[in-house]
Amino acid sequence: MRNAALWLDKRFGLEEHTIAHYAWVIVAIAGVVQMVGAAIRMAFGVLVYPLVEAFGWSPGSIGFAYALMSIVTALSSPMAGYLGNRFGARRTMITGTGLFFIGMMWTSQTKEIWELYVAYGIIFGVSQALLLVPVVPAVASWFRRHLGLGTGIMMVSWSLGPALVVQALAVLFATVGWSQAFVIVGVVGTGTLMIILLFFRNTPEEAGKIAYGTHRTDNPLITSGKVFISTQKEFQSYVYKTNAFWNLINIHFLGCVGHAVILVGIIPLGISKGLGPLTAAGVLTTISVVSVATRFAAPVLSERISAKSVMFFSFFGQGVGVFLLLTANSTLDFYIFAVVWAIPYGGEGTAFPVMIRKYFGHTPMGTTYGWQLLGAGLGMALGGLIPGMVFDITGGYTWAIVLSAAFSIAGAGAIVLLENTRQQLIPNWPEMEQKSTELLETATVDLKRAESHNTSGD
Amino acid sequence: MKIAAPNQPTEVASPSLEGFEIMRRPFVGFGLLMSSVIGTLVVLIYFGAWASSNRIENRAYAAGTTESQIDGEWWEDGLVFVCPLH
Repeated sequence: MRNAALWLDKRFGLEEHTIAHYAWVIVAIAGVVQMVGAAIRMAFGVLVYPLVEAFGWSPGSIGFAYALMSIVTALSSPMAGYLGNRFGARRTMITGTGLFFIGMMWTSQTKEIWELYVAYGIIFGVSQALLLVPVVPAVASWFRRHLGLGTGIMMVSWSLGPALVVQALAVLFATVGWSQAFVIVGVVGTGTLMIILLFFRNTPEEAGKIAYGTHRTDNPLITSGKVFISTQKEFQSYVYKTNAFWNLINIHFLGCVGHAVILVGIIPLGISKGLGPLTAAGVLTTISVVSVATRFAAPVLSERISAKSVMFFSFFGQGVGVFLLLTANSTLDFYIFAVVWAIPYGGEGTAFPVMIRKYFGHTPMGTTYGWQLLGAGLGMALGGLIPGMVFDITGGYTWAIVLSAAFSIAGAGAIVLLENTRQQLIPNWPEMEQKSTELLETATVDLKRAESHNTSGD
Repeated sequence: MKIAAPNQPTEVASPSLEGFEIMRRPFVGFGLLMSSVIGTLVVLIYFGAWASSNRIENRAYAAGTTESQIDGEWWEDGLVFVCPLH
């Protein structure tokens, strides 16, 4: 039994893992930040009807607030990433939490449409970027190795968050009204964020710990001081000179257009084919739930096998899979589509941090990731426009499906042109020349604990 | 609350950058990004102009006049003007 367990540990590299590490606390915090930060964004659809009823605004003018928020979030993402690198993710996220509170409170008191645009479109849009962009690079800095595993666990919250929160918000809107619901979510969300950010540390060194996956022979990485700032600028200038930097923005943009068309258009398309509103909404929920598996698996596989291959098959599958909708006419057809398409869709966006690590090593990835989210955000905004526009013109969704496929397959083509991920494109991020005695002792204690944890028990 | 990382160098330069230079410019990556931007604009203009001409046509039909006698919105006229196929 013991030998079998040891063999399994060795075969799958499990002996390198331990649950007793602060990196998992950081991953859990990142998951909650993403859930709280993205909740109101995802639940915007629930807000439209109460606002139409209360103020008589048109759904189109209310929808513009959502489009404005998406674009503002996208445009502020590179700056949010830079701020996370420069001042630390924690400080940046605390600022984002402050803006989240202001945005939520102001939105709850909105009387004029321009107030909705400012409070929800601009203030809330900026807060989204400050909360959601720096958290991913911060998690990355906690993983010297096995970033795929950390990213995969964190990315699961992208699916679970909306699935849980949207239902809760719908109930809240129905029971206390939209205005009170915003006040409650604003207060509870801000309180939750402030409490969990107390436990957040930007880097392992700041917490006096070592990064997950650090080997005895590894020197600690430079994470603070003047040289950290200056080296970061220098390394980032090299990052800008690589094809991969620009192409990854392009790929994220194309992939997001591809799936935004489906995510926005699937419910009206289902209803136009005779599905009831609840059944059609169930298709979207099925996509969210099934995609959890590949959101987790894609970064893990990207790290273990080839990141390019995993991303290629995800994009290609996302593109080809939408053609199932061309012949979908029954509830069963739509649910088969939801299950089949969710698999590549889930893997489409979650491997980017692993890709960045492979190309640019341990260089702080805030700015690079922020630029990629600029592409992603603009892609989501554009993809969201396509179904409605195509329906207005043609009275159907066929062209929207074709465009979705074209954008995703173009993304797959762009992935083929990426550099080989086996070769790092810029030099290694500098390490400290001499190990800190304290850090070395901590590392030794952690490694011994991990070893005893893995070898104990039959 | 903050625990400073001990022994972090503050003044030394990174040795790994000495002599490193990327000579080539990112033409492929930047070119692909620009192609996507241009391709997307083309799609938006084409479908936007299609939608605009449909809207103008519908209004003209409802008013019982010709399309040339109908004043379009500024964005409808703009999209139809920019698109060479409409």
